[in-house]
Amino acid sequence: MLSCREVIEQLWDYLDGELPPEQMEHIAEHLAACARCYPQYQFEFAFLEAVARQPQTAPRPPRELVERLHRLVSAT
Amino acid sequence: MRQNPDAPRAAFEQELLSAIEAVHRFAVHLTRDPSQAEDLVQETYLRALAHRDQYQPGTNCRAWLFTICRNAFLKGARHSVREVATEDAALEALAAAGVHAGMAGTDPEGAVFERPELADAIRLALEKLPEEFRTAVVLVDMEDQSYAEAARVLGVPVGTVRSRLFRGRRLLQGDLLAYAEDAGLLARREENT
Repeated sequence: MLSCREVIEQLWDYLDGELPPEQMEHIAEHLAACARCYPQYQFEFAFLEAVARQPQTAPRPPRELVERLHRLVSAT
Repeated sequence: MRQNPDAPRAAFEQELLSAIEAVHRFAVHLTRDPSQAEDLVQETYLRALAHRDQYQPGTNCRAWLFTICRNAFLKGARHSVREVATEDAALEALAAAGVHAGMAGTDPEGAVFERPELADAIRLALEKLPEEFRTAVVLVDMEDQSYAEAARVLGVPVGTVRSRLFRGRRLLQGDLLAYAEDAGLLARREENT
């Protein structure tokens, strides 16, 4: 069983899906059973979700730019 | 069955066009200026079309465009890639745990991040991050690129991306929580955190 420190050190890698499958499984098992680490997982998850939603509120490219790029791509 | 000789070209063009919004977002984050971002996007597409033979069909076209975009930005702005000292990524992760420990009495599950009022604060906090950290956060957290893809875009080892990403997240998180406290969205955290 992984220690809490090992889990916390790899929590962002885990949330990013960047660990080998076996390690992902070990961390998932720890989180499911650990009342100390699970809230931090929820906290970091909520934070990353908020950042991931940011593109939805980002300004869209102006129409003239999009049209210019379409012309550029089809002309070459 | 006969192959359509124009199919690869059409697929490439479709990939380029479907990436316009993502490349524009990335350019806005790099330049922090809408008008410069437009020029940068156009420059990116001109370069991509001029070097289309370098693109390998089936690979991540957006990552390829992000790479071109960042290189064009660095060249155009005469920026040098400034190395920012980053602590070890594991230390950054532990420091984030310290932030969370300070939230124990107020918002341990991060409900504040669900608040729509935070959207503008995230944009502003991102703009304040040094370019190295901002680009890593934008690529991985907003544009859904893997650490390896971000490393290719930035021309640095995966470990460097990880350090910059974690540092950027921690700075961003600190800024957002401070904003949420000031805006009354969150009770003041404990002093020792």
